[in-house]
Amino acid sequence: MRIDKRRLYHLDWYLIINGLIIFGIGLMNLVSATSSFSSGSYNFMIKQLIAFALGLILILVVMFYDYRVIAGQSRWIYLGGIFLVILVLIIGLAAGGAKRWISLFGFSIQPSEFMKPILVVFLANMLYEKKRQNISLSLKDVCKPLLWTIIPFILIVKQPDLGTGIVIILVCFAMLWYVGLKRSTYAVLFSVGAISPFIAWHYLMKPYQKMRILSFINIDADPAGFGYHAKQAIIAVGSGRFLGKGFMAGTQHKLQFIPEHHTDFIFTVFSEEWGFIGSIVLFALFISFIHRCLKIAMDAHDELGSIIAFGIASIIYVQFTINVMMAIHLAPVVGIPLPFISYGGSSLLSMLASVGLLLNISTRRYMF
Amino acid sequence: MTDEAVSGKFKWCTLILVITMTVLLIRLWDLQIMRGSEMRKLSEQNRIRVKKILAPRGIIYDRTGKVLADTRPSFNIYLTPEDIKDFSQSVDGLARLLNWDREDVIEKMKAASGMPPSFPVKIKSDIPMDEVARVEAHRVYIPGVSIQIEPKRNYPYGASFAHVIGYVSEISDEELKNRKQSKEYSPGDYIGKYGLERAYEKDLRGTDGEKRVEVDAIGREVRTLDVIDPIPGHSLHLNIDLELQLTADKALETRKGAAAAINPKTGGVLVLASRPGFDPNKFASGITKEDWQKIALDKSHPLQNRAIQAGYPPGSTFKILVALKALDLGVINEKTTFSCHGGFAYGNRVFKCWKKGGHGSVAVHRAIVESCDVFFYNVGLKVGVDRIHEFADILGLGRVTGIDLPNEQKGLIPSTEWKKRRYNQPWYEGETVSVSIGQGAVWLTPIQLAQLSAFVANDGKNFKPQIVNRIVSTEGKIVKTFEPIVNAEPKLKKGVIRIVKDGMRGVVNEPGGTAGRSKLQNVAMSGKTGTAQAGSDKVKLGDHAWFIAYAPAEDASIAMAILVEHGGHGSSAAAPVAKDITETLFKVKTVIKEANAHENR
Repeated sequence: MRIDKRRLYHLDWYLIINGLIIFGIGLMNLVSATSSFSSGSYNFMIKQLIAFALGLILILVVMFYDYRVIAGQSRWIYLGGIFLVILVLIIGLAAGGAKRWISLFGFSIQPSEFMKPILVVFLANMLYEKKRQNISLSLKDVCKPLLWTIIPFILIVKQPDLGTGIVIILVCFAMLWYVGLKRSTYAVLFSVGAISPFIAWHYLMKPYQKMRILSFINIDADPAGFGYHAKQAIIAVGSGRFLGKGFMAGTQHKLQFIPEHHTDFIFTVFSEEWGFIGSIVLFALFISFIHRCLKIAMDAHDELGSIIAFGIASIIYVQFTINVMMAIHLAPVVGIPLPFISYGGSSLLSMLASVGLLLNISTRRYMF
Repeated sequence: MTDEAVSGKFKWCTLILVITMTVLLIRLWDLQIMRGSEMRKLSEQNRIRVKKILAPRGIIYDRTGKVLADTRPSFNIYLTPEDIKDFSQSVDGLARLLNWDREDVIEKMKAASGMPPSFPVKIKSDIPMDEVARVEAHRVYIPGVSIQIEPKRNYPYGASFAHVIGYVSEISDEELKNRKQSKEYSPGDYIGKYGLERAYEKDLRGTDGEKRVEVDAIGREVRTLDVIDPIPGHSLHLNIDLELQLTADKALETRKGAAAAINPKTGGVLVLASRPGFDPNKFASGITKEDWQKIALDKSHPLQNRAIQAGYPPGSTFKILVALKALDLGVINEKTTFSCHGGFAYGNRVFKCWKKGGHGSVAVHRAIVESCDVFFYNVGLKVGVDRIHEFADILGLGRVTGIDLPNEQKGLIPSTEWKKRRYNQPWYEGETVSVSIGQGAVWLTPIQLAQLSAFVANDGKNFKPQIVNRIVSTEGKIVKTFEPIVNAEPKLKKGVIRIVKDGMRGVVNEPGGTAGRSKLQNVAMSGKTGTAQAGSDKVKLGDHAWFIAYAPAEDASIAMAILVEHGGHGSSAAAPVAKDITETLFKVKTVIKEANAHENR
């Protein structure tokens, strides 16, 4: 099939360039973050670039099919995703006490990352008809999407990967809100939301997870463990001061004071080296990117595209916000990567696939 | 997609984005701008460790340049609290590995609890090589433990110099508290606790250096940022002569006693020996509780420097002082005689002479040579206790001589004023009789009697005794030279010294002299024996043996006092020690050359 020149013209270059800048900053930051590792920083950079190259192919594939076609097949994609997540629990690779990866064709991939955009498309497909008819969702209407969200949620939290679980739950609620809820539904959801933390604390959370919460409330409660990491993270960020310590000059991460500083805590590396100024620029880039996603949602040709775009915007927003807040001790420590910046092939591929969907929707906004 | 509900939702979204951005920026402003400097400091503290480089302590040399105290490398074990991951793993692991008491380790850690967690706490000093090897091999399993090579004090002659040189030991909590302001000392540091090590702590210590290193999160050194080299302590060159000291120490052997010898022309201390002694090396490598108890509770008081701290009645050696004063006053002259029939009745008491049959009619020369008590009873009464006291005070007896060692004892020469002050009683002349022969309330230290001997030897002049001759920096620059300081040079009547000198020469060299057995072949030694009663009339303890001497008889280069506690007669117990010392000094020797060779080293 020929690529329609009109569609190329309608590509959202704002989104693409904004995304590329964030990715470029991320790549540069990754070089610094991993320079102290024995395998050398270029090893990580090359792996990240390979993932990026694969991601570009993924974008083309995703763009090739009309998003309505993809949404039509979303139940199969969803089932495939669930299958992989279950597979993780059976044959997953363990690292740091958690099974999150499976080995596929020599790559280790993290299915929970892909579950996020898959769920967005799947839920959008389930809900767009209601939105088109402008029906506010009743309690009965929200049960089905919630059920389909809770299944992967439980599977992912069991790995355990609480961070990703929290993301998909929050994204699900955001999408339901976007479609529109009846007042009664709001009331019920809020009450459930109010009591669920207590239930989680008493029945569901593991001791180490509780410890994270406690050390968030009182940073000195566990000075050798989670509190230590949180403290070192804010020291890293704070010590960057106004202008930062300079590229490759961050001491907190280079001397291993911060764990996971190339993945979940990568913001501390950036903020330590680029300071307040650099952080403002990075925030602005993210906010602008998210805002652009919302604009795509607003301008989408139909409700389906709109809901998908909104869902993806909320993924990026939730991950960005929680990740940064965790690094500056405004949220408990939880494993959520910073989109485009954190090291990790699955996270990047999942993000790029999402970008593919956004471009898919935006290029088709004038088609009927 | 333009219906109102949707655009309302986008307004909400925009609002949320703005709020998010605001919250994040406020937090960043707080961390990076408001608390930026504090956080920068914390990050520096994280990565930069200041390590102390101990300054080597100054070396102590004898008169001829032989080393009496130096430093050698030793292996010390440290624990850094910050680097301990699991307390019991590291502490128990270390205790088990080296068979130590776990409580000892914890006690050391507690002692340093006021220091920052990055400060390494010294657990044990000077561990043997096999323990070093064991710790190195297991280091991975006991995080926080490290071994550092540090200079350690070494005393090659051990107990022979223990009291003069003293020792260094780990600083106590109390000493640390007193020095808190100076910040020069930290727990685990060594400090001079005794003898010269204590008196010259400031000079010997030097200035510790510093190494600033960058460490990673598990405490590994990544690189050295800068180094401030330590400045080694100054070395001390003593007036003490190694060979003489060893001779004196050997001569005293297993007895309790002391020998103090000074150069009468300068006051330079040649010998300052005290027995029993202790091994200062034990203190320098961190003395064990048992060893400390053994030394501290020993009834023979090995920690006492008898040469400057043991006070005993000087006995007949004191007659020299009485004779000097009497002749100077003119209450007697060379020819004045008193008759001795073996006793002297005064008041309702008879004071005996040591010689039962008596000495017959004696003048001052024979009275000194044969140590006639009755002669001095008479003379003493003529002089009177206050004039004896006054004269003794001028010579430096009954007050500290000012020797450069801590805790010197004053001794005592009684006076009417003293008795009134002390007991609120009048002085009885009968007491003067006892004082005349160095008994009664009189008590003096060996260094003080050496001063008396030096006064005679140097023809009526003595100097403040000084152990240290000069302080020299590591570059060889002389920091300070201790010039002789005149202690006493009273104007005496002409010929007085001559008479006493002849008497003292006779004690050793004339027939009937009390120390005739200690006569030397190649040099004329002068002296005076003393046998002081110990204990009371009821409890008879062995007499204290004294001997003061100088040699050669004319133009003396050594003056000394020997004390042997409960040694019996001065002639048999104390005089031989002086003889040995003098013999060593004046034997025709090739040692001088050797000494020079050392000096040029």
